Amino acid sequence: MNLASTLCVPLAPRLDTSGWVDSLRAIVGAESVLADPKELLAYECDGYTLQRHPPTAVVLPRTTAEVAAVVELCARLNLPIIPRGAGTSLCGGVLAVEGGVMIALTRMNRVLALDVRNRRALVEAGCVNAWVTREAAPHGLCYAPDPSSQPACTIGGNIATNSGGPHTLKYGVTTNHVLGLELVLPDGSVQWLGVTPDGGEDVEGYDLRGALIGSEGMFGVVTRALLRLIPTPTHWRTFLGVFDTVDEASHAVSDIIAAGIVPAALEMMDRLIVSALEEAYHFGFPLDAGAVLIIELDGLPAGLAAQAGVIEALCRGRGAREVRVARDEAERAALWKCRKRAFGAIGRLSPNYVTQDGVVPRSKLPQIMQFIQETSRRHDLRIPNVFHAGDGNIHPLILYDEREPGQVQRALAAGHDILTRCIELGGSVTGEHGIGVEKMDYMALQFTESDLDAMRTLRRVFDPDQRCNPHKMFPGSKRCSDFAVRKQAHA
Amino acid sequence: MRLCPANLDELRHALATANGRRVPVTGWDLHALGALLEHHPEDMTATAQAGMSLADFQHTLAQAGQWLPLDPPFPKAMTLGALIAGNHSGPRRWGFGTARDWLIGISVVLPDGRLVKSGGKVVKNVAGFDLCKVFVGSHGTLGIIVEATFKVLPLPKAQRILQHICATLEEAGALLERVVGSRLHLDILDLHRLPGSPPTLVMGFGGPQEDVDEQCQALSHLGICQPGDMEYDGLFHKWPHRKCAVMPSALMDTLARLEGCAFVARAGNGVIYHTQGPPAPPATAPSALQQRLKDAFDPHHTLPSL
Repeated sequence: MNLASTLCVPLAPRLDTSGWVDSLRAIVGAESVLADPKELLAYECDGYTLQRHPPTAVVLPRTTAEVAAVVELCARLNLPIIPRGAGTSLCGGVLAVEGGVMIALTRMNRVLALDVRNRRALVEAGCVNAWVTREAAPHGLCYAPDPSSQPACTIGGNIATNSGGPHTLKYGVTTNHVLGLELVLPDGSVQWLGVTPDGGEDVEGYDLRGALIGSEGMFGVVTRALLRLIPTPTHWRTFLGVFDTVDEASHAVSDIIAAGIVPAALEMMDRLIVSALEEAYHFGFPLDAGAVLIIELDGLPAGLAAQAGVIEALCRGRGAREVRVARDEAERAALWKCRKRAFGAIGRLSPNYVTQDGVVPRSKLPQIMQFIQETSRRHDLRIPNVFHAGDGNIHPLILYDEREPGQVQRALAAGHDILTRCIELGGSVTGEHGIGVEKMDYMALQFTESDLDAMRTLRRVFDPDQRCNPHKMFPGSKRCSDFAVRKQAHA
Repeated sequence: MRLCPANLDELRHALATANGRRVPVTGWDLHALGALLEHHPEDMTATAQAGMSLADFQHTLAQAGQWLPLDPPFPKAMTLGALIAGNHSGPRRWGFGTARDWLIGISVVLPDGRLVKSGGKVVKNVAGFDLCKVFVGSHGTLGIIVEATFKVLPLPKAQRILQHICATLEEAGALLERVVGSRLHLDILDLHRLPGSPPTLVMGFGGPQEDVDEQCQALSHLGICQPGDMEYDGLFHKWPHRKCAVMPSALMDTLARLEGCAFVARAGNGVIYHTQGPPAPPATAPSALQQRLKDAFDPHHTLPSL
């Protein structure tokens, strides 16, 4: 039986759809509205599958005008709207908690213009992240944020969660690379926020674009974005540091940062992940290593050579038994492909997993890794790790089998312990995945009531009715059934 | 009224009182709130009270071999609060952006006296809405910034600034295009023309000594080898001036229209600081959304208006 169906009881009777689904069809065309329960199943959750609920209808608009008309209709009928990209998010950020109209932007997926001289790209919100770099690459440019889901995830979704990726260690996250955007406000009006496609970098007034990025789809529907492109690094050096223990690798990460080197990327994978990846993709990872670091430097050739020696010495100083350098672009690409498909290889280890996205100060990495190992033992669950070590952004993957009694509860409890520890160590419960429905309760641990009030104030500036992507982010928001992390954990 | 609190509690009380009595607060002096609170070199983060000067902040960071790579003019007179409230930057904007790009956490006293924080002390963090961006560049119109956490960087092992004096703006424009189209990694890319001086292109870069040497060589192939400095920036900003921002590709046309006036341009970014010139366009009224934001955080308009 589907776990979620046992947890998720619809709160309200199904929204009465009489009439308004036809109105949606009149706006976007019958072929662009899904309202059949079978069709809606694909939209009942994102990558976080512990809770599911289908929207009442899905619309697939092709233009900003269609989005605006749909949103305006929903405003008149007081219907919730849920913007959605590719659905690759990992914490229920696009869950239709009470149903409502889901606006899926996947048909608005074009790169509209590439301005090479000004290093800008104008794209539609449903444009896939990797397509931007694909289009820009012939001009020596790229779009820096590179989440692991980049072959599928959309720019609009990246904006919603302020996505990161391995190379954000050096280049920054989505908010540093989105110059401006077009937003359909929950009342149906259309606004451009931030830098306009033919405007200068400095914009008068408040940074509403910055306020919107990372708002998890709760301020309106983003329809277009103006992206900053950067020159593609031409010289790089990619290392594979092989360690006997996670602890040694964690200390090597701290040493590299302390030496004043900021690599382009600094990623860690532990033994369980490495063996799953090796089995799946045959890269040639050592199967007996306790941990592997992927360290990538980019820059000018002369400086790279000098820094490479330092990196190798620091790794060896912490007991690395081997420091390999990627021979060529092909080997480097293969390595990154493996790293970014790590979550996909988990299926070989376990029928189910839940990933966490905590952050600790970089110097606390050895402590949190130690804690995760203890947590794994305490709850008798395997917890492999693959994460952005240079940023202190951990991704413990808690493996469980929903068919085994008690395992769901133990998995939730383990996640709870780890995230609570991240906060205690001065960190955060999410570095790049977002709060969604999954981590609402942690907001009260990380922020005061005044902090949360200020956030609610900001939300009402954009969405006075709190109708856009409702029941997310804030502790105590109405949830699907009675589902509560802690209740489950202590059950 | 102007606030000059002795500590945080006093500030909260004074602002809440003014707000309750509908007395406009026109300014504040956070001299007493000027302490460095935390600096963890191994985490590359630092937290300070907003009254600390940028110069003092940099001095403390430098003792551990680090810096905040922002270099607006007059850092001794600029508090961290002002740096954020104005989203300031300096010649290194081309390489390092503005205050917005380095701020990771903030504490603010709202007009009703409540202390709210956003972000945190880790470099990657998406928990909650990003109120940091609401206060960056808000010019003190929404709340009074009292504390800030920044990402910081290791100081470059070596740095160099080169300049090229051009006979005409056209020559400067042509050289600028060659530099922008090159594979150089510049932190500074400025073009200035001070009164009585010819247009001068300034390029700065830093990193390992080997990188700096390599870039010097690459620039010498473009005929650029004269040592430069950043003094023009402080000198220029002592005069009354205006700012305008254009697409980088529109920079030279815009500068040509400024005719004889003095300017410092962030040439890579398309941001121009200039003395006189064509009259500034009338200030546009804030959008409805902008005004809603102001009214939501400062409903009685106790703080300066947008």
